[in-house]
Amino acid sequence: MAKSTQDLIFDPVFKSNPIALQVLGICSALAVTTKLSTSFTMSLAVIVVTACSSAAIAAIRNRIPSSIRIIVQMTIIASLVIVVDQVLKAFAYSLSKELAVFVGLIITNCIVMGRAEGFAMKNSVGDSFFDGIGNGLGYGLILMVVGFFRELFGSGSLFGIQLMELKANGGWYEPNGLMLLSPSAFFIIGIFIWVLRSFMPEQVEAE
Amino acid sequence: MPLNKDSLANTFFVAISLCLVCAFLVSAAAVGLKAIQDANALADRQVNILKVSGFEQSDIDEAGGIGKLFEDRFISQIIDLETGEVATEACQAAVEAAGKKVTNIKTEYDQLWCSKSKKPSVSDRLNKKTDIAGIKYREKYSQVFTLRSTDGKIEKYVFPVRGYGLWSMMQGYLALEPDLRTVAGLTFYAQGETPGLGGEIMNPKWKAKWVGKHLCGTDGNVALQVCKGDQTENVHGVDALSGATITSNGVTNLIEFWMGENGFGPYVMKQSGSTSSAPSAEEADIKKEATETAAHPATSGANHG
Repeated sequence: MAKSTQDLIFDPVFKSNPIALQVLGICSALAVTTKLSTSFTMSLAVIVVTACSSAAIAAIRNRIPSSIRIIVQMTIIASLVIVVDQVLKAFAYSLSKELAVFVGLIITNCIVMGRAEGFAMKNSVGDSFFDGIGNGLGYGLILMVVGFFRELFGSGSLFGIQLMELKANGGWYEPNGLMLLSPSAFFIIGIFIWVLRSFMPEQVEAE
Repeated sequence: MPLNKDSLANTFFVAISLCLVCAFLVSAAAVGLKAIQDANALADRQVNILKVSGFEQSDIDEAGGIGKLFEDRFISQIIDLETGEVATEACQAAVEAAGKKVTNIKTEYDQLWCSKSKKPSVSDRLNKKTDIAGIKYREKYSQVFTLRSTDGKIEKYVFPVRGYGLWSMMQGYLALEPDLRTVAGLTFYAQGETPGLGGEIMNPKWKAKWVGKHLCGTDGNVALQVCKGDQTENVHGVDALSGATITSNGVTNLIEFWMGENGFGPYVMKQSGSTSSAPSAEEADIKKEATETAAHPATSGANHG
């Protein structure tokens, strides 16, 4: 039970990564990763939402009646997501336009719910907060890796800065159209899981 | 803790107080940030109108901000799409009749809302035949922006246009030269087409291909369209986006719709009639075409089907 803060934050990044090990939150990982800038914003939004919602739920965990606990968690998460969405619309308008509905869909991101139900209901506010940050980071790491490959090979750029001049604009690089479509995210996540499990064989499920 | 958390009283207490706290948070965020969000949305629209009229970022910086440059150079009008006349008051009355409070219709008019509301005072239902752009309901009133030179002469017209592509409503602006037949620019500010394929409608290289193209053919109907292959020689064609046939067709359709008789056709006719009071050789030519268009509204409608 008594994990150090450091473990709480960094365990979910590699050891029990929510996407790679638990295979949660795949849907948004496909949708927003065509560009690094959107992946980055989405990661930040998820980190904020998981951390704050876990902390809020942990704070009232002793009062939440078990009959309505899921709906209580949902309400807290949904409110936080709306707040994050509103803040993005006010201060990062063009990014929020690109992310469109996917910020709203953080509500349905299984990672957030999973941490609320699985961790925050049984642990202290501080631990839950850091656990939320850790899981958000784990999710963010995958998003950034996927976003990196998809933007680099799909558009020849990183964070919108052109690195490989495209053929269409008079350069030499012929972009890989598959990288811009959702299936490529599956391939990249799959390869990521493969690499991760080669280094950490204990993650491989028992036959 | 001696509290029985599963008791009925506690369940109600938690549910109600949670709702109150969350409702407060959400409303505080929505109300507190609304002013900034509205300013963002307005600036975003204005930037797109400026860009489609050929302004660069450096022009905006020089003029001291988007809003300032826009106020200085553009005049926005609200027109009745059916008659082509300016109809600011009628529009205000119609929007209020549809149940939306407005203080300054000129800056607050929201065409998309009118179309989405489906209220008969602000929008018309289109039938299958005329609805080539896939917008279902067309608002009765539309904004039109005109770029003025310092002595008040019209330098460009900017029309809001939209139409359905493969996945999404593509919303943008079409800018025309003062002759109302030559395209000065086309831009989209909101779209959800496939990135890298249909999403290339946002690519500046592709948008640049529209500049200088002619809107209408010799028969006066909208002839500008997206076609396959290099179209540098063709004044009525723009090279389609490869791998994005449906998006490309959507762009053709939205131009045909909005420049046709159900879109800005009546307004365009009126404008090209009134500006050529002292016709030069070229302007006389336009006038002739405009009257030709006027003479065949029925045929142009049939062609749209």
